[in-house]
Amino acid sequence: MQVYTPPLRDMRFVLHELHGSEELSTLKGLEELSPDLIDAVLEEAGKFVTEVLAPLNQSGDLEGCTYENGVVRTPKGFKEAYTAFREGGWNGIACDPKYGGQGLPASVNKLVEEMLCSGNLAFGICPGLTHGAYQALKAYASDELKDRFLPKMVDGVWSGSMCLTEPQCGTDLGLVRTKAEPQADGSYKITGNKIFISAGEQDMTENIVHLVLARLPDAPKGIKGISLFLVPKFLPKEDGSVGPRNGVLCTGIEHKMGIHGSSTCQMSFDEATGWLVGEPHKGMRAMFAMMNSERLSVGTQGLGLGEAAYQSAVAYAKERLQGRALSGAKHPDKPADPIIVHPDVRRTLMTMRAYNEGCRALAGWVARALDLMERAEDPEERKRAEDFTALMTPIVKALFTDLGFEATSMGMQVYGGHGYIRDHGMEQYVRDARIAMIYEGTNGVQALDLVGRKLPAHMGRYLRSFFHPVLNYMDAKLDDENLGPLITPLSKAFGALQLATAHIAEKGLKDPEEAGAAATEYLRLFGLVALGYMWVRMAEVAYEKRVSNPNDAAFYDAKIVTARFFMEKLLPDVAALWGSIKAGKGAMMALDEAMF
Amino acid sequence: MSFEIRKVAVIGAGVMGAGIAAHVANAGVEVLLLDIVPEGAANRNAVAEKAVEKLLKADPAPFMSKAAAKLVKPGNIEDNLADIADCDLIIEAIIERLDLKQALYAKIEAARRPGSAVSSNTSTIPLADLTAGLPESFRRDFLITHFFNPPRYMRLLEIVSGPETNADTVAAVTRFADVKLGKTVVRAKDTPGFIANRLGTYWLQLAVGEAFALGMKVEDADAVMGRPFGFPKTGVFGLIDLVGLDLMPHVQGSLKRALPAADPFHATLRDEPLIEKMISTGYTGRKGKGGFYRLNREGGQKLKEAIDLSTGAYRPQAKAQVAELEDGGGRDLFALLSAPGEGGRYARAVMVRTLAYAARLVPEAADDIVSIDDAMRLGYNWKSGPFELIDKIGAARLIELLKADGEEVPPVLALAADKPFYRVENGQRQYLTLDGTYHDIVRPEGVVLLADIKLKSQPLAKNGSAALWDIGDGVVCLEFTSKSNSLDEGIITMLAKALKLVKDKYKALVIYNEGSNFSVGANLGLALFACNIGAFGEVEKLVATGQKTYQDVKYAPFPVVAAPSGLALGGGCEILLHVGAVQAHAESYIGLVECGVGVLPAWGGCTAMLERWAADPKFPKGPMPAPSKVFETVSTATVAKSAAEAKELKFLREGDGITMNRDRLLADAKAKALAMVEGYAPPKPVQFFLPGPSGKAAMDMAVEGFAKRGLATRHDKVVSAALAEVLTGGDADHIAPVPAARVLELERDGFMKLIRTTATLDRIEHVLETGRPLRN
Repeated sequence: MQVYTPPLRDMRFVLHELHGSEELSTLKGLEELSPDLIDAVLEEAGKFVTEVLAPLNQSGDLEGCTYENGVVRTPKGFKEAYTAFREGGWNGIACDPKYGGQGLPASVNKLVEEMLCSGNLAFGICPGLTHGAYQALKAYASDELKDRFLPKMVDGVWSGSMCLTEPQCGTDLGLVRTKAEPQADGSYKITGNKIFISAGEQDMTENIVHLVLARLPDAPKGIKGISLFLVPKFLPKEDGSVGPRNGVLCTGIEHKMGIHGSSTCQMSFDEATGWLVGEPHKGMRAMFAMMNSERLSVGTQGLGLGEAAYQSAVAYAKERLQGRALSGAKHPDKPADPIIVHPDVRRTLMTMRAYNEGCRALAGWVARALDLMERAEDPEERKRAEDFTALMTPIVKALFTDLGFEATSMGMQVYGGHGYIRDHGMEQYVRDARIAMIYEGTNGVQALDLVGRKLPAHMGRYLRSFFHPVLNYMDAKLDDENLGPLITPLSKAFGALQLATAHIAEKGLKDPEEAGAAATEYLRLFGLVALGYMWVRMAEVAYEKRVSNPNDAAFYDAKIVTARFFMEKLLPDVAALWGSIKAGKGAMMALDEAMF
Repeated sequence: MSFEIRKVAVIGAGVMGAGIAAHVANAGVEVLLLDIVPEGAANRNAVAEKAVEKLLKADPAPFMSKAAAKLVKPGNIEDNLADIADCDLIIEAIIERLDLKQALYAKIEAARRPGSAVSSNTSTIPLADLTAGLPESFRRDFLITHFFNPPRYMRLLEIVSGPETNADTVAAVTRFADVKLGKTVVRAKDTPGFIANRLGTYWLQLAVGEAFALGMKVEDADAVMGRPFGFPKTGVFGLIDLVGLDLMPHVQGSLKRALPAADPFHATLRDEPLIEKMISTGYTGRKGKGGFYRLNREGGQKLKEAIDLSTGAYRPQAKAQVAELEDGGGRDLFALLSAPGEGGRYARAVMVRTLAYAARLVPEAADDIVSIDDAMRLGYNWKSGPFELIDKIGAARLIELLKADGEEVPPVLALAADKPFYRVENGQRQYLTLDGTYHDIVRPEGVVLLADIKLKSQPLAKNGSAALWDIGDGVVCLEFTSKSNSLDEGIITMLAKALKLVKDKYKALVIYNEGSNFSVGANLGLALFACNIGAFGEVEKLVATGQKTYQDVKYAPFPVVAAPSGLALGGGCEILLHVGAVQAHAESYIGLVECGVGVLPAWGGCTAMLERWAADPKFPKGPMPAPSKVFETVSTATVAKSAAEAKELKFLREGDGITMNRDRLLADAKAKALAMVEGYAPPKPVQFFLPGPSGKAAMDMAVEGFAKRGLATRHDKVVSAALAEVLTGGDADHIAPVPAARVLELERDGFMKLIRTTATLDRIEHVLETGRPLRN
């Protein structure tokens, strides 16, 4: 069965002990933030998730959203849960106080997001999109639009959506056909069809603010001719209340593999009134402000489901009695030993655990960069943080969702046949996790983004923001008695990452297909090294803390053991990946298209 | 050869005359520069003297060195005309008026030595008119030498001789222009505007007119009439701004008067009231208040603006938006000419007729197509001449376009309907002649081009960045082939290979290439990427290997001669500092610029420079002077603006040769190498006496002074300190000798220390991305 207890102890470890949360309060707008306050927020969020959202996860999946005459109904209980969510102030916790938000840093918000995803992914999608739309508008919309729409969106009484995809264009947004006709009053009439619009229509909010990609009449063709528009479902009145219905209609919802509690809508815009966000033809820039934040959030979805699957699998592995330990009975009093005694079940659980905790630590590092990028005083520091975020976004998105899916599949495996049937909810995790590898840019596209854009940018400057800290750390800790045994495999893997990076930069320059052929494996290799670095750093903290804080020694010892597991059992994948990368595109591209 | 030109007179000290005189002086030839005596002037040489003063201030510099400036003797035509009796060549460069020119010629004829050559720099007056009525003795010695502006930098010289001109005279002047002045001589016929200006003016006039007719933005027109055809990126409007709008009507007027009514030139003429208004109100281009483009400085701003051809109003300059050129378009010239959009229509309207006009000029203005192509490449800086462009488009396709436009097809073009204008046959480049057969392109004596050798042979060795060629007589040529000839692992490897190969089987090595630059230095992009991913070990290895290989060059048991042209910077300069001898093109720009990007010369550059200054007997002795001098040059990233200046800075040595003509560089370098073979002995390793920490303190103080005055930045101080550490010998004690190997070690350490700093990486990134240094 689905078991979930918010991993608050580990979250506090990541936030306070690993990444040093005291730095946060030195940043602009966070002066009042104390560890106690953070802990209280996390605890409350955990409570809300376990008490309100998690109980709706399986029922929402079974019931799903329903569509009738342009109206979408969310599963039973979702609307009430949303109201409680909104009234609890959760919708705006990371938003600017100027618009009614709580102004909490990304470092805290990402942890809240993770809990939401663990407890009820489908529910979390709608507020997640509102937040993405909030960020795009905050960065690019006119003050007038911001003042009119942001307070409602921060409050949550209005939600957001992003309308990019059309039947003929998914990854290649240059093919967008939706039109925008300028009007005398400065607004635009938007006409066109969009598909796969998450939360494009639902019954939880009084209004929905769509961000729509469309073309102006004089637009250059291709990606350089796309503009972004704000198109509300209802046109707001002067006093901010909801006015007449706009020409936006949901014409149907998709029947899909997972996230049944979240509607995936076909949207029709028929001369709908909208307003330009940012400059004409520069819509992609604004869209990416939203998409980058969304990509990091999708990564968190992978982690959230991985964590839920792990906890559920552990619970089952401890209670399911089958056979005896290979070394002899561990629980002779029982008819059989619990399956957790078996090495392969151990391997499975340890793998899930090592990935989850590693990803949480890495997410914490990236979240800190998000905070620095927005709030640091020193422009150099902001630039470094921006470089790092740009570099890590595709890695977090693809690595976390790949590993999250693997973890849900492993969780199902621990349950055996009981995982495959619906009752225990393990197959729901697998289905829900699968989409995260696809939307917001497939993981293949993330890998291309990494090798094609992030790697060569400014002759590798983004890379510096990762490579130099790791290199300096390894140099400093090489002789550390405790860490030495962990540094050695890390430094080997890091060497492979350097070689692979140089290899792709060199080959890819001459033949972009070579870079494309190596992309997915390179992203995984990079991700494993990043997790490896996190694990050594976590082990370092754990070695110190088990002495200074002996009451918690069991927690720290578990960290150290898991670090060893990662370095010994998971990091060696790097060698295989590098071998494959070196082999190049040859065999992959050789087969004639007709022979497929 | 009847005579050699040892002394020259230039009469007329205007922009062209003075520029020609300066360039004659650059060749090491004494030159009289005469002009009129200004009315009532106390100083009767004032005009010529002022002209020389102006030359000394001009940018780009007309003189290659201060020594050259001393070879120009200013004078006036009243008092000093008799001095032309000592001159072997008298160049007239006065105002374009026939009566004045002829009056001057009569005086010249009276004063000159019989048999001396007389030439005019006229660009518009036919030779027949110039010599009409002058004695036969004058006509036999007279020819036109048409230089292009600025004379030092433009490689084209058009020579026009008359039916009576003595062949020996033409040969002597041609040889002087070629070998001494470094010009490529193109023989033109005595027709209006000769070759380059005739075709160039036609092209410009047509391009301007069609842009007006199509109502184009000047930015878009220039984008089409630039890169796609291999024309300078200024395009036409940018080019006219550069030469001056007011100059255009002069040239047009004279061509209009001189060309027969049937010439298609007349069809390109049309009055553009906007241009007339611009000229009359002082908007004559960059030298005036602005031109088609301008920099608007109103209110302390610096706004780039362009003119709207239809309204005449300035508006902010925009990025060119030509659909045909987007997404890598414009490479296929025929596709561009056939494209239906504005860019395509413009390209077609201008280029189809321009290329056809070029074809008409054979045999009217030149005997062969090669002369036309040379003239446009060297006189208008086209990357390809018109016939090379036609080959790219396909003559048959061009003929189709011409016919479709209802234009006449010139016979020369018809001749090429089924074959190219140029071909390579048995490793020999050939061109199509008027009788439809192909002739070899014959290089002047003493001209050897690697490009020709490469057509005939296979490389001895080759990798992605360099190649080795057997250039005959036991000499191997190392050619760089990387982008901008930047130095990377491939080049270092090939250099090492060359050293081994020559030692085993050959006599000498020449390092030479035919890129526009010898080498821009180490490949910083690769280095930066390696540093960004923390591969410092790799960088250190490349530094060490490069340094070691350069040492091997220095101590090679056979002559190694480097022959630079264009930029030789950083690591490219350091090669020059390690070879046995250099044969440099006069237009070489040499310098150790490493400090500009936040590092220091570590392929032996610091050590070699110390050695040169310490060994100069005319330079003060003691441990401090040599390091100080090198510090001064290297810390400021000083670049010599000519080979002559490079000698002053000791990037070149006294015995190193200078070749004026780019095409003669390889032959000269090879000859130099062969001359050194007999009894060649490599230099002996040296040791230095260096000042150590006290010397470094002095240099640090000097830099601190600069920093206080705002002349040195924060990171300049870091870089200079690292350089000072190397040049002063680290912990050296001035009474104990420091072996060169120790200074080399300090170079490597200093380099690695600097390249690990973020500020240096920022500098490298900035230079690579913007082409400008970062002052951080």
